[in-house]
Amino acid sequence: MSTMVKTPNKEGYFGEYGGSFLPPDLQPVMDEITKTYNEIRNSPGFQEELTALYQDYVGRPSPIFYAKNLSKKMGGAQIYLKREDLNHTGAHKINHCLGEVLLAKKMGKKKVIAETGAGQHGVALATAAALLGLECDIYMGEVDIAKEHPNVIRMKILGAKVVPVKSGLKTLKEAVDEAFGAYVQDPVTQFYAIGSVVGPHPFPMMVRDFQTIVGIEAKEQFSKSPGGLPDNLVACVGGGSNALGLFTAFMDDESVKMYGAEPSGKSFKKGEHAATMTLGKPGIIHGFKCYLLQDDEGNPDPVYSVASGLDYPGVGPEHSYLKDIERVEYTTVNDKEAIDAFFELSREEGIIPALESAHAVAYALKLAAELPKDKTILMNLSGRGDKDIDFIAEKYGEEYGIL
Amino acid sequence: MKNRLMCHLIANYPDFNKSFEIAEALARGGADSIEVQFPFSDPSADGPYILKACDIALKNGFTVDKGFDLVRRIVNITKLDVFIMSYANIPYTRGLESFVKESASIGIRGLIIPDLTLNNDEGLIELGEKYTIPIIPVITLTTPQERIDAILSIQPEYVYAVLRKGITGESTEITNENITFLKNLSQEGVKVLGGFGINSREQVNSLAPYLFTSVAGTVFVKEIEKETGDMINRIEVLTASLVTDQSTTTSKGGDFSSSINICR
Repeated sequence: MSTMVKTPNKEGYFGEYGGSFLPPDLQPVMDEITKTYNEIRNSPGFQEELTALYQDYVGRPSPIFYAKNLSKKMGGAQIYLKREDLNHTGAHKINHCLGEVLLAKKMGKKKVIAETGAGQHGVALATAAALLGLECDIYMGEVDIAKEHPNVIRMKILGAKVVPVKSGLKTLKEAVDEAFGAYVQDPVTQFYAIGSVVGPHPFPMMVRDFQTIVGIEAKEQFSKSPGGLPDNLVACVGGGSNALGLFTAFMDDESVKMYGAEPSGKSFKKGEHAATMTLGKPGIIHGFKCYLLQDDEGNPDPVYSVASGLDYPGVGPEHSYLKDIERVEYTTVNDKEAIDAFFELSREEGIIPALESAHAVAYALKLAAELPKDKTILMNLSGRGDKDIDFIAEKYGEEYGIL
Repeated sequence: MKNRLMCHLIANYPDFNKSFEIAEALARGGADSIEVQFPFSDPSADGPYILKACDIALKNGFTVDKGFDLVRRIVNITKLDVFIMSYANIPYTRGLESFVKESASIGIRGLIIPDLTLNNDEGLIELGEKYTIPIIPVITLTTPQERIDAILSIQPEYVYAVLRKGITGESTEITNENITFLKNLSQEGVKVLGGFGINSREQVNSLAPYLFTSVAGTVFVKEIEKETGDMINRIEVLTASLVTDQSTTTSKGGDFSSSINICR
């Protein structure tokens, strides 16, 4: 299984998923990115530079925290949190943004552009661009701009331009469409720093590679505990970058079970969820093939989740493959469960999670309750929830006794 | 001698019947061929005008079945050469083989799927051979020579040449670079369809010597959008104005030493 799982073929396919379905204008640019990335990915200079930034700038390694109170409350398996929320900028996204911006800089690009949903990728990219001296344009749906106000301000403080996207549902998918359009206009001086393990080859591979540090550290940290390996891994899945970050290092450890939590939003009705792998079927969007929520004619469905970073109709091609070979079990968590878990983690452990990560928390809690006490669950706490507090207060304040 | 012109239209835009009437108007105006786009909600190479028009076509209930019905009517009634253009996920979701087979049975002249390219074509090129229907590769100014060679080595009947860097609907500059690019392509014995951003008679005239057919698209969408007068009549007049006598040109194949931006 090992080489199949870890490396796409040279055209960027994970099984039948991935690839590069681009208008011919963009393909030469993508080929150049692949070529440069393959040249520098294992070069000592690049790795040293990135490792130094991970350590001194991001604050890596992020700790693993034993959630004793929650574990006790659930009465089953022991829950451990990989604290990506403690990274500089408050989420795992900075791991791949530093890699992408370093690469863009080495390629002589002047500007990095990207879409963002919750604003976490946007903030991380704006941060990396500020540090490394590149311009930065972030495309963001107007609905998300209103919801994720603190992150919008953060990006602007960091010197990035935030471009509001007014088309369609004004969320993540439309932001990708518009960023794509802007990229096609000038793929030579700009670098499209895709915000997850999605898009055309080499991005699903490259973003994953930059995120694997999460699992590599976790494996090392966990090796000191009895048993040496966690029994279960849990992460939320929108595009799927934090999940692959945690999972990849454990891929060959067959005793380690892996779970990806997708958002089932308000219901399983069309337009009220983003449970891509649960209800989608293979399709081609934004330059790659993956499970896709779509209608019978092949047009992507509208999607929704309370977590802006998870409402995407597609998903990473490697996840699509991991589902088919049954290496990872994909499950769903709805809005209500995620919000409950958001408060549960805040009040039991004093950690406010991002709404995206709260989906992973919810599933970890569910799983813990079903398992015996000698089992362990390691979940990726991919981001912190400061960005979500205004939204939570407004929408759920009364229900949870804040207002 | 008039210029050869392929006009682009979006199936079901503004609605099913109107899109058929537009096709008839294009034929009356002197178009040689029609490129019918099957709309997709998340295209990767369309400008804002075509994007908006596609959204309207989808909201008005476009289905692939309706698209094929429309194309069948256009082929039968106008007798023009018709091409179908769409993005990968539309034929992929239908089933590529079923899509290619149905296209062939209608008697269209070729399929243009810009994001299904050589080596990332999901088997489209082979299906084209199986059902004897040309699969039309897209080549741009930035396509590396070795890639162009690889594409031409499969001996396509047509290639679609994109004359500018970027998405549809913005201005096309008839630069030396464009002309050299087209000259090189036309020497290969392949029929070159060239477009993206053509919107004036002068552009068509300048490009005609190097192309099998010029392609105009966004200019028609903009015309359809206008709310004055008889739209169908305006489309016919516009088509006729683009397909004008080549002798009116002043710069045919001449000196292109400077970049001439001849957009409106």
